[in-house]
Amino acid sequence: MRRFLFVVPPLVGHINPAVAVAAELTGRGHRVAWAGLPGLLEELAGPGAGIHPCETPRDLHRPPELRGVAALRFLWQDFLGPLALAMAPGVERAVDAFHPDVIVADQQALAGALTAERLGIPCATSATTSAEFSAALAGMPKVEEWIHGLLAGLRGTLGDPSRTHDPRFSPDLVLAFTTTALTGECTAPAQTRFVGPALDRRPEPAPFPWERLDPGRHTVLVSLGTANTDIGDRFLTECAAAVRERARHVQAVIADPGGVLDGTADDAVLAVKRMPQLALLRRASAVVCHAGHNTVAESLLRGVPLVVAPIRDDQPVIAAQVTTAGAGIRIRFGRSDRHAIGAALDGVLTDPRYREAARRVRESFRAAGGAAAAATHLEEFTASIRQGEPGTP
Amino acid sequence: MTTTPAPDAVTPLPGADECAVLAELTEALHSVLPEIGLEDTAVTMDTRFVEDLDLESIDLITLTGELGRRYGDRVDFPAFFASLELAEIIELSVGQLVRYIAGRAG
Repeated sequence: MRRFLFVVPPLVGHINPAVAVAAELTGRGHRVAWAGLPGLLEELAGPGAGIHPCETPRDLHRPPELRGVAALRFLWQDFLGPLALAMAPGVERAVDAFHPDVIVADQQALAGALTAERLGIPCATSATTSAEFSAALAGMPKVEEWIHGLLAGLRGTLGDPSRTHDPRFSPDLVLAFTTTALTGECTAPAQTRFVGPALDRRPEPAPFPWERLDPGRHTVLVSLGTANTDIGDRFLTECAAAVRERARHVQAVIADPGGVLDGTADDAVLAVKRMPQLALLRRASAVVCHAGHNTVAESLLRGVPLVVAPIRDDQPVIAAQVTTAGAGIRIRFGRSDRHAIGAALDGVLTDPRYREAARRVRESFRAAGGAAAAATHLEEFTASIRQGEPGTP
Repeated sequence: MTTTPAPDAVTPLPGADECAVLAELTEALHSVLPEIGLEDTAVTMDTRFVEDLDLESIDLITLTGELGRRYGDRVDFPAFFASLELAEIIELSVGQLVRYIAGRAG
């Protein structure tokens, strides 16, 4: 029995894969605890989870118009940096109370990696998106330098200033919840283990009116994930219009947490606050989404091709991975109207190559092992610590 | 967010060479982003890549490659982008890149 402390940011897409790995470890007789935002963790990790509360910055609202490098600057300077500082005391209290053998630190919860190195606790990185492995900033070294400067400042405050590695990548083990069938060639360090998507067994929300789905038509799912409720109005409205123009052969289920479509439930469009996404994916012909890593991974794990409309952060990189793999078409979130969305939808529904490519990625995901493989790598890591192998002090 | 051509804007009107470069750059933009198109967005010297065209860093890198194919060794695009600070990338305008190209491709 070993003890694993998961340190996670207050982001659903980062917590869900960790929950799946934690469940696998618990099932193998290990002890698991969490450090993060308590309310969200209780909801996602379940009532039995051992949760050590961390503070998170207040007023997390990011100006919705920020895109590209402007969004990146905000992400690091105004969110990830302050998040690390706010979480660190809670992470340290969690270590004092739980005595972990290993800290599993989310790549964006830097308080995890930095506290681990300062206290000399072995640490593995949980990379729930692969954008940090991409060469998206390769042509802009000064942007990378700026990030490194910010990381060095955090390390001076929270970590061990004598260490020199990039705290986003544990020198010993990085778990990547994807495969190279999707990422293509990437700059992941040698200690990266590609385990594919780790799906938690989260209870699907609310009953769904399955009888409304017409087996004679394509079911298309539309989702902008959990973090874009404030900026999706126009896009979701245009999606609904594109589907209506194709109602003879397409039906859409639209995740509409903000109520933009006002509970629309007609013959062509079914708008729901939350959709049972994993169950719906079993019968979906296509997914229209923001290219969030988890939505993309879950779709491809079912071999479903995508129309991707990336908004910001890692999404443009993930969207490019989807199109390079041949599993979907990219459109522009801010500019695509019903005609552009409809044309892309027609493409992925009628050209079989998109589905074939999606199925190739599916096979690689299945072979990668998911949460079970991640748990095995963590077990092997703890075993190597006992033998004094890893490079941690 | 659309950018309308503004003849009386502070930026001086592009010269003949700059006009040709602007046309080439606009073509390059269309060719690297065919699947996303630029719709009816006018590309002018004042257009900003990030704020007005919503280009992501990954798109800027693709654009760099395409411009390299069009201008060859005459213009060192990687050096241009590598010289930019984060804040400069956010504000980068089509005009800045056009003037850089026009100053070297001649």
